[in-house]
Amino acid sequence: MASNTLNESKQLATWYFTFAFILFGAQLLFGLVAATQFVMPGFLFEILDFSVARTLHINALVVWMVFAMFGSVYWLLPDETGINTIGIKMGKLLYWIFVAAIAVVVLVYIFVQVGPADETTIWFIMEGREYIEAPRWADFGIVVVALGFVANLFLTGMKGKQTGIVTVLMADMIAFAGLYLAGMFFTDNISIDQYWWWWVIHLWVEATWEVFVGAIAAYGLITMIGAHRKVVEMWLWIEVAMLFGSGILGMGHHYFWIGTPEYWWEIGALFSALEPIPLVAMFVHVLYDWGKTQGAEEEAGNSASVINNKPAFTWFVLNAFGNFLGAGIWGFFHTLPQVNLYTHGTQFTSAHGHLAFFGAYATILIGMMYIAVQGKNNIKVLKNTKSSIWAVSMIAGGVMGMTVALTIAGYVQVLVSRAQMGATWAGYFDGQAGMWFAQGMDWRLVMGLVTFLGFLLLAKDLLTTGKNPVHER
Amino acid sequence: MFEPFTDVIPSFFGWLNQGPLTLTIFLHTVIILPMIWIYYQEKKRLENEG
Amino acid sequence: MANKSVWSDNRFWQRTATWVTGFAAVLLIWLTFDTSAQISMGTDEDLKQGVTKRVPGPTVINYKIEYLMDAKRGHEIPVIGGKNAEGRSAFQEKEKFFGRDDWTEEEAGALLHLGKLGSQAKNCMNCHTLLGNGAYYAPDLTKAWLDPAWGPEGSLQAMTGKNTKEEAMAEFLQHPSQYPTHERMMPDLGITADEAKGLVAFLKHMSSIDTNGFPRNFGKIQGAVHGK
Repeated sequence: MASNTLNESKQLATWYFTFAFILFGAQLLFGLVAATQFVMPGFLFEILDFSVARTLHINALVVWMVFAMFGSVYWLLPDETGINTIGIKMGKLLYWIFVAAIAVVVLVYIFVQVGPADETTIWFIMEGREYIEAPRWADFGIVVVALGFVANLFLTGMKGKQTGIVTVLMADMIAFAGLYLAGMFFTDNISIDQYWWWWVIHLWVEATWEVFVGAIAAYGLITMIGAHRKVVEMWLWIEVAMLFGSGILGMGHHYFWIGTPEYWWEIGALFSALEPIPLVAMFVHVLYDWGKTQGAEEEAGNSASVINNKPAFTWFVLNAFGNFLGAGIWGFFHTLPQVNLYTHGTQFTSAHGHLAFFGAYATILIGMMYIAVQGKNNIKVLKNTKSSIWAVSMIAGGVMGMTVALTIAGYVQVLVSRAQMGATWAGYFDGQAGMWFAQGMDWRLVMGLVTFLGFLLLAKDLLTTGKNPVHER
Repeated sequence: MFEPFTDVIPSFFGWLNQGPLTLTIFLHTVIILPMIWIYYQEKKRLENEG
Repeated sequence: MANKSVWSDNRFWQRTATWVTGFAAVLLIWLTFDTSAQISMGTDEDLKQGVTKRVPGPTVINYKIEYLMDAKRGHEIPVIGGKNAEGRSAFQEKEKFFGRDDWTEEEAGALLHLGKLGSQAKNCMNCHTLLGNGAYYAPDLTKAWLDPAWGPEGSLQAMTGKNTKEEAMAEFLQHPSQYPTHERMMPDLGITADEAKGLVAFLKHMSSIDTNGFPRNFGKIQGAVHGK
């Protein structure tokens, strides 16, 4: 960051981060609408129904994360490869295509919502498959944009210095883009449908995205505390081995009940049971490297902190812990088939979903946004501010609160709706009427509001960092 | 020793799934065993370099 | 100093990562071929010949479907067309679906196609769960066809004033907010009479899929585990 003009690749990264942040806000808003509907069922009934709010809630989530991931790669590429990113003009064009496509998809979701039961709906309104609801035309757009992004990454990686981090990202991002193709067809057979649907969802969030996080954490440790590259990259390779080793066949835990053979019980249970191990390793790794570099500095008689970006580092540490807690612990809760038989499709899943997406991905991507704000404003040491501390506390506390509330609501569902009543219509509503369930939903809404207020503070902090005199320049 | 097949359609993986652990132990083993070979190969390389 | 340990060598871990990832991917692809063959949709011929498929053909809508405990497998399985001596599908007993039990393969296939498209076009999955996957704002639809509430003595069938399960379900789907069962209601999604018929066929077909015993104890509210 020697020059005052921002590298073009980094400039594109800031565009990606900006749009990602806007979508993050949209995700929280539509989440609040859906949470309100659990408490007050009449809220926006037949105007913006739960199904619409939830579609927007989870789609905004996926898309903001993809945007922030692309942004992170464009940000770190010049640092890692030592050259300017190749094809940046195309990258900028694709960015605008991506943004425009998403705007159209969202407007159609809100104002058209559903269509007749024919192929035109699938092509132009929505595909009706959770997480990848985007209509088919948008699927093709996403593939084109992803291919352009992967091409930029590969051309730059092959021409410049190909570090371990870049090598991992290249392999990971091509798999990430390619897997999307598994979700782009229609079939009458719902078992085949869900089989391939999980190839996209699971192999994204429990394999390629996790490896992406490993690579970003490695980059962050080098940039923020000056960790030793050789050590960091060794950890990265261990993490790749463990994440893919458990995560790829861990997909079996989605194949327990969708019509697929019984042998998936065993494969799914015991491979996915190992999935938390790399997540523990990542947490240990981050703390270990921090202690090691700080210790070495103190040995040399330098008592100053080795961290040059406090808020970003806070989010990275929170990521290491949140990934383990949300994806690891909350995932393991219900990954064994004998437990999953009763918890599958209850608020338990929802509790895990909230803490895992937040802990594993939202945290580190917000951390990358802080790194970008630091680089963009030529700040040598970015310090914590009151709003950065309040933001991280309220967002993390809010999400944790929602997770606990949903877990408790899930208990009632498991006991009443599932174990006792066997998942019938009557059983479902008996569970929903339970006091623990109802109170759980109230608390989820309250904690959702806390999260949203934290988000507003985060926005304020990120936007005012450039002019804040407390940071060392 | 061998259990009669219970699943709907017989298959190789279904057959390996003899009890609560047979299939997964088999798969974990075939994944881990070649790492021993990689280990000794790399050890030899490091010794030669040293 | 002694030789550097292999355990702290980057190349060793890089090769390990490559091997583990590559082999796990190959295994997954192999398993996918195996599973795909097992979950491909059956045919009318299969049903007539008494061949049990994990996902039966669309003409399964001509048959009576039950969900019964299987002693050998240790969980409930779909039993199609009455049960045989082993307690499994006999593929004998028919059941009228919208007044007919002779839907041809083409007709039943078209109905299922319409229903599956409808389930996506109406975004069912963002309130309900299907095979347990989706959102948690409304009941699971995996075995909805077998729900006692839609049966002859069920409150939902009575509510719509129809005489058969399929007509009651179709009526509800077309005018859901006219039949509120709880404060939380299903919105009107503009489902036509034809689409409703397709959706009910889709639900009946889904209830015949062998889901390895999910959901457990479905509809066994009265009595103990195997009670009815």
